[in-house]
Amino acid sequence: MPTIVVDKIVKTFGSMRAVNDVSFEVSPGEIFGLLGPNGAGKTTTIRIILDIFKPDSGKVSVLGGEMTSEKKDRIGYLPEERGLYQDMPLQQCLVYLTNLKGVPPAESDRRVEAYLEKFDLAPHRKKKLKELSKGMQQKAQLIATLAHEPEILIIDEPFSALDPVNTQMVKDLLREERDRGTTIVMCTHQMNQVEELCDRLVLIHRGSSVLYGGLDEIRRKFADQAVLVRAASDLPAQIPGVTGRQNRNGSQLLTLDPQAKPQSVLAYLVNAGVVLEQFEIAMPTLDEIFIKTVTGQELLE
Amino acid sequence: MSKFFLVFWNEYKRHVLRRRFLIALFSVPLFLALIIGVGFLSVLLENDSRPIGFVRAPEIFPDPQFPPAPEKKSLFPDPEIRIFESEESARDALNANQIQAFFVLSPDYFSSGRATMYSLENPGDNVTEDFASFLSYNLLLSQPKDVQQRLYRGFDVTIRSADGMREVSNPFATILMPLITGLIFILVINISGGYLLQAVVEEKENRTMEIMVTSVSPGELMAGKTVGNLSVGITQLIIWILFIWIAYLVGRILIPDLGSVQLDLSYLPLMVAALLPAFILVGALMATLGATATEAREAQQLAGIFTLPIVLPYWFLTPIIVRPNGSLSVFLSLFPLTAPATLPIRAAFATIPAWQIAASLLILVLSAAGALWLSGRAFRLGMLRYGKKMTLKELFAGIRAAGGSRG
Repeated sequence: MPTIVVDKIVKTFGSMRAVNDVSFEVSPGEIFGLLGPNGAGKTTTIRIILDIFKPDSGKVSVLGGEMTSEKKDRIGYLPEERGLYQDMPLQQCLVYLTNLKGVPPAESDRRVEAYLEKFDLAPHRKKKLKELSKGMQQKAQLIATLAHEPEILIIDEPFSALDPVNTQMVKDLLREERDRGTTIVMCTHQMNQVEELCDRLVLIHRGSSVLYGGLDEIRRKFADQAVLVRAASDLPAQIPGVTGRQNRNGSQLLTLDPQAKPQSVLAYLVNAGVVLEQFEIAMPTLDEIFIKTVTGQELLE
Repeated sequence: MSKFFLVFWNEYKRHVLRRRFLIALFSVPLFLALIIGVGFLSVLLENDSRPIGFVRAPEIFPDPQFPPAPEKKSLFPDPEIRIFESEESARDALNANQIQAFFVLSPDYFSSGRATMYSLENPGDNVTEDFASFLSYNLLLSQPKDVQQRLYRGFDVTIRSADGMREVSNPFATILMPLITGLIFILVINISGGYLLQAVVEEKENRTMEIMVTSVSPGELMAGKTVGNLSVGITQLIIWILFIWIAYLVGRILIPDLGSVQLDLSYLPLMVAALLPAFILVGALMATLGATATEAREAQQLAGIFTLPIVLPYWFLTPIIVRPNGSLSVFLSLFPLTAPATLPIRAAFATIPAWQIAASLLILVLSAAGALWLSGRAFRLGMLRYGKKMTLKELFAGIRAAGGSRG
């Protein structure tokens, strides 16, 4: 049974349709990417899933049914607009937010303390939030999202304003959570992070879903008739079936004739005595797919 | 533990345990105690308890008597009257600093009423008054005992309303008490309202609203905040009342006359009945303001729109007291924001018609319910508008759009 089912949701604010007939499913234990350019309707979709907004039409099912206050306690949400009580001491604020997620006070104390140790924030536990650095506040925000051990994690732009060290830390943490069995919905426009972490994704553009499926499946679908080759020596000037070539990061991207097969190109090169270091089907990056899809949509419109 | 209670306790604790709150809590009674103490000290320093001399005048008072000592011991007792046989002996005593002044009656005292006071420096305030009292007592000696006592002690007035429903024995306390209690209540309403305003804006300023509404329902959040901040105000009120009570007990020991003051507290039930909906009304209006504003400072500046009308009856105090059932008084009792202060003042000076009390309380309750509904709407519409102000037009457009549909 899918953990989250979004079924044809529509949401309009005034004259603007923020979300238009968006549908997707999130399976248990996967990292799911909710992608789209700024203003595409990602955050509105998340807010509808979390029952902050009601959809004008369509349905959302979370953990097998409608959202309830009990289910909200099983979700960890890291909103794009980060915020904690700036005038409160760090530990007190985190324990309060964990308590609000239904964790008993003694257990909240224990879990928050463990996370403070893990994130090297323990020496700052009595400091007010406003006295902490930005990086420390980001870590505190993560603790607030994770301390009640949620079954679903919904994180909006998790890497924004993070330095490389903290970015890596968040990535490790997300993998750790997935290994623990947590279902993760990651909302972002940073495609490289999605490629690295997500199993499946949906791409929203101007409120509508334009791409949906497994990461490999999508990349294969968008793959051009091309191979990526790196050789110890120069490649022959003429290769049957190859119509164009260009350099890409030290390799050669060979564009193939629509009728040519990559296997026949490989066989030709081996027979020609070329010492191959790399030969692979050229897959487009998610960035390229993203741009292609979005600009394609715009052209269609 | 219910989430409402968690929000309530968090709100309560963070205000009550703050240094700023403790300073505000204790500074007001301490400041008042200081003012009273300084006043008391200045009276004490000015008070001269040295005896007053009286040069015997056998042709006027052959056998002068001393008035009986008051039953209750005063902190500032009247100076003793000492009788001297001659002006010389009185002057010697004055020069020796044994008395603060002495009086000599003119031989034609009965016809002229003249007396001469001798002193080395300005004598105490009550010297003339005490000597006059001594003279009155001796002048009345020839009268029957009960007439003498009555004339000497004066009379007590009890003011009763025409319908006999209300009775006042101390007009000064009657005027002062509803004004003071009204001011204390208004202060507490404003303080609590201010805390609530701050608590709602703070969620927006800190951008915690999204985290909160995915943990608690907006209803639980607002109820927890409202009750939490209201309890902060009530804590303040209880502690101040305790201070006043302690001051009264201490005052009774120091000033025995205080014990005989009968306080008319008949206006209190009406005040409390008006206060509860007023509390909710102001709180909800403050919450609405908090939900539509972007930062605390801006919201606090606007809060004056609601807090000013509450104190408005104090500006119109004279017309209300002079004509407690006049049209201005009636209007101010029916307008929800001015009713809490107007009703008790009127009640202290007149019998308010029952229909006016009922109408006033009904309007207050309905306004409070309306304000709560409005604050809920404003909260839902404004909660995620970080850094963006909501105009009245947008608020009403949002209310119209949501009218009758789901929340």
